Amino acid sequence: MPRYVVERTFPDGLHIPVNADGAQVCLAVVGKNSDEGVTWVHSYVTDDKHKTFCVYDAPSPEAIRKTANRNSLPVDKITQVTVLDPYFYR
Amino acid sequence: MADRSTLAHEANLLERSRELAALRSGFESVTSEGRGRLVFVSGEAGVGQTVLIRRFAAALPASAEVLLGACDALATPRPLAPFLDVAEVTGGELKTLATEGAKPYEFAAALMRDLRERAPLVVVVEDLHWADAATLDVLRILARRIESVRVLVVGTFRDDELDRKHPLRTMLGDLPAAGAISRIRLAPLSEHSVAHLAEPFGVDAAQLYRQTSGNPFFVTEVLAGGTQAVPATVQDAVLARIARLSSAGRSLVEAASIIPATAEFWLLERLCPGGMGSVEECLAAGVLTAHAEGVAFRHELARLAVDASLPANQKVTLHATAMSALAAAPEHDPARLAHHAEAAGDARAVLVYSAEAAARASSLGAHREAAAHLLRAIRKGKHMPDEMLASMQQRRAHACYLCGQFDEALEAQHAALDLYRKLDDRRRMGESMWSLSRLFRYVGRGPEALESAQEAIRILEQLPAGPELALAYCNLSHLYVNSEDADEAKLWAHRALAIAEKLGHVEARVYADINLAVVEYLANQSPALVGEFERIFRLAKEHGLDEHAGRALLHLTWWSPRFKSYDVADRYYDSGLDFSIERGLDLWRHYMLAYRARCEMDRGRWDEATRLAELVIRDPLSPVPRIVALVVLGLVRARRGDPECWPPLDEAAALAEPMIELQRREPVAMARAEALWLEGREAAIEAATSATYEIAVRRNSSWVIGEMACWRARSGAQKLLTGQVPQPYALELQGKARQAAEQWLRLGCTYEAAMSLASSVDEDDLRESLRQFQLLGARPAAAIISRRLRRQGVRSLPRGPRATTLRNRSNLTERESQILAMVAEGLTNGEIAERLFLSTKTVDHHVSAILAKLGVKTRGQAAAQVR
Repeated sequence: MPRYVVERTFPDGLHIPVNADGAQVCLAVVGKNSDEGVTWVHSYVTDDKHKTFCVYDAPSPEAIRKTANRNSLPVDKITQVTVLDPYFYR
Repeated sequence: MADRSTLAHEANLLERSRELAALRSGFESVTSEGRGRLVFVSGEAGVGQTVLIRRFAAALPASAEVLLGACDALATPRPLAPFLDVAEVTGGELKTLATEGAKPYEFAAALMRDLRERAPLVVVVEDLHWADAATLDVLRILARRIESVRVLVVGTFRDDELDRKHPLRTMLGDLPAAGAISRIRLAPLSEHSVAHLAEPFGVDAAQLYRQTSGNPFFVTEVLAGGTQAVPATVQDAVLARIARLSSAGRSLVEAASIIPATAEFWLLERLCPGGMGSVEECLAAGVLTAHAEGVAFRHELARLAVDASLPANQKVTLHATAMSALAAAPEHDPARLAHHAEAAGDARAVLVYSAEAAARASSLGAHREAAAHLLRAIRKGKHMPDEMLASMQQRRAHACYLCGQFDEALEAQHAALDLYRKLDDRRRMGESMWSLSRLFRYVGRGPEALESAQEAIRILEQLPAGPELALAYCNLSHLYVNSEDADEAKLWAHRALAIAEKLGHVEARVYADINLAVVEYLANQSPALVGEFERIFRLAKEHGLDEHAGRALLHLTWWSPRFKSYDVADRYYDSGLDFSIERGLDLWRHYMLAYRARCEMDRGRWDEATRLAELVIRDPLSPVPRIVALVVLGLVRARRGDPECWPPLDEAAALAEPMIELQRREPVAMARAEALWLEGREAAIEAATSATYEIAVRRNSSWVIGEMACWRARSGAQKLLTGQVPQPYALELQGKARQAAEQWLRLGCTYEAAMSLASSVDEDDLRESLRQFQLLGARPAAAIISRRLRRQGVRSLPRGPRATTLRNRSNLTERESQILAMVAEGLTNGEIAERLFLSTKTVDHHVSAILAKLGVKTRGQAAAQVR
């Protein structure tokens, strides 16, 4: 399955508390993703919490947009990527 | 040691409380709200679908009626097989329809009428992985209206038996994503549960779990088999269990194993004389289960295991006995007979019964099954007379054509043609020849289509004029319609009409009328012509000419993107799609979806456009609608700046490349020109558009000429001579960007409006263009305009609306927003339909689409989003 980096902007910042509520939020997103065969691998969040770079495995860019819509998440840009492991060359 | 008969029960119900609760809550909402629900239960073979359903049914209140039906495990299932079981209980109209061979839509309508008159009830359709096409069509129709019937429909299937192209997959993908339809997937048992079950038997739990992967059926067989070592396969486990029976019991089980589904007592007595004495033993051992009229294996996996272990000669004898017993029965079923005839190696019987089964399937509109029966007959019929073989191939070609299996249809049609040639039957040769031409047309082999169309006419014109010749003229006319050669199309249509009038042949008349109407519509899109298509639709429907009726409606969506007449498409799309689904016209359904996808894309509804396009792409039938769907997918990706826009556009180009028809080339040329422009590769646009431009000029197609000319102008290449082209294009070419944009907005094409503004050098125009691109989420185009403005020295450009505002009402159409507001007011679909002068069916459809787009399951949740 192709891998994508999805860039998102949160004008008011992204605040997911590190507690049971936060876990619930993340699980809800993961649940809705699975309907479309989309897997949220993990995300990188900027220090000001206004931008995220999210790594996804998904069947197509459309599947990522569909789940973003359902989860009320913004999408700026989707880029298809492959893994480059620097230690592979050792 | 634990009691063996309860063991299976227990194994299958561990870890199932959530699934049972889901089924129960489905039933409760049927009784309390009066709205139907459809639930699919899936899982691997042996995971316990049937046990779950039995347990759920047993716990229902006594007043709730449960109707059970199962699909056939025959190589070619009987049409409507599960509903035959249901109709057996309901009796009345349903039974008459089911046994006399009604079409799926007739049966579905009667079923819903019947269900409406009953108390809330449960209908279970088991083993959908074996379902015939007619059964799937009935479910498809039922699914679209499920909320209007007080019934819980439960469909079960094994998902490990569905390959990518399985018709059930297609059906599941097509279903509206409404809250009334849900799915339950049964997982295998956990290691913990396996250990719990294994404990009383002293079997190594870890090994048992490893070997069985927690499959409840497998686990039960191993434990009930009473061996300490865990067998390697399901088959070994089953056979170990059978080995513990008495020798009479084993014989009975072996005899039962050759009968798919339930083996009737009388039939078993014939297969295993005196074996009835052992029925009790087999039931007590949990190998067989009792049904009203006979016995069945506890699981199909067990039946297959025993069947596979039988020596070949014993199998042949059993099947031959079963065949002669079934043939002598009062109600003989050709599909079942053909199955045993084949296993018994009786070629003559296979031929007779398969031909009979095919005729029955065809009359039910079960084209896929009809084709399969015919193929079986043909394979066995090496010694049948050529006339018979030819007619079977001809019928098979037609059945394959109707269900969209074009490769097989072509092979059968060629075979039929060769045989008629050998027999020197000129009339049938001519008929085969134009049928062949039709097939070539759908797979995009234009030159061969034309050649065989003309050849058919040459052959048939030497004979007294009959309906075959009229239809051959229609077919040739159709080819010219597709290539937009108006004069030739009219000429041949009129010749067909002359014969049709003389013979009073309705099909030829309808077919010729459609061709003439399309030719006129291409020349001028007057509202009167829309009425003409409606008239033809009604006439064709009245005479049972579904294929042509569907085609008449289809054209109103088909040509909308060309002439930007989206209002016409909006008016006829729902009824056209409904009709094609009801009549099992898969190919028409694809055309409707593909052209609708293009209409939605043109009007900036990209989510909906790609959703529809994906439905077409996933299920390969004909390349013609596929081209349009691929273009939509690729171009929406390009417009959004999403990855992978070229693979679909390249595939579309490869499919369209050998085709000469403008309607196939235009979408590809337009999309590739735009994708190149977005990537800043203007120099390549000329090459991508020139061939299409030349065809458009030859066909005098002013909309396409205008479109291609604008792309050439946008690429900075020399301007093309265009003559008269429609307003929005003419204005842009004359440098009147703003007026062009106004025209586009009036047509509802926001992206095109922004494109026209982009051709301006005026700063205000470019700012407006940028704003519109940003609103649409068209990043690459917005970036191009920003760069231009900056080059002109403009500073302080807007960064674009924030992503949150972009996430508008989930891309609802105007109609959908209007309906959502009424849903929030608490109106029912019936009330909304009255207020908007729509049918309730159409409102149902819109509400399903709204729920899907909002990603919610109920109307309440949707309403909450409005507040």
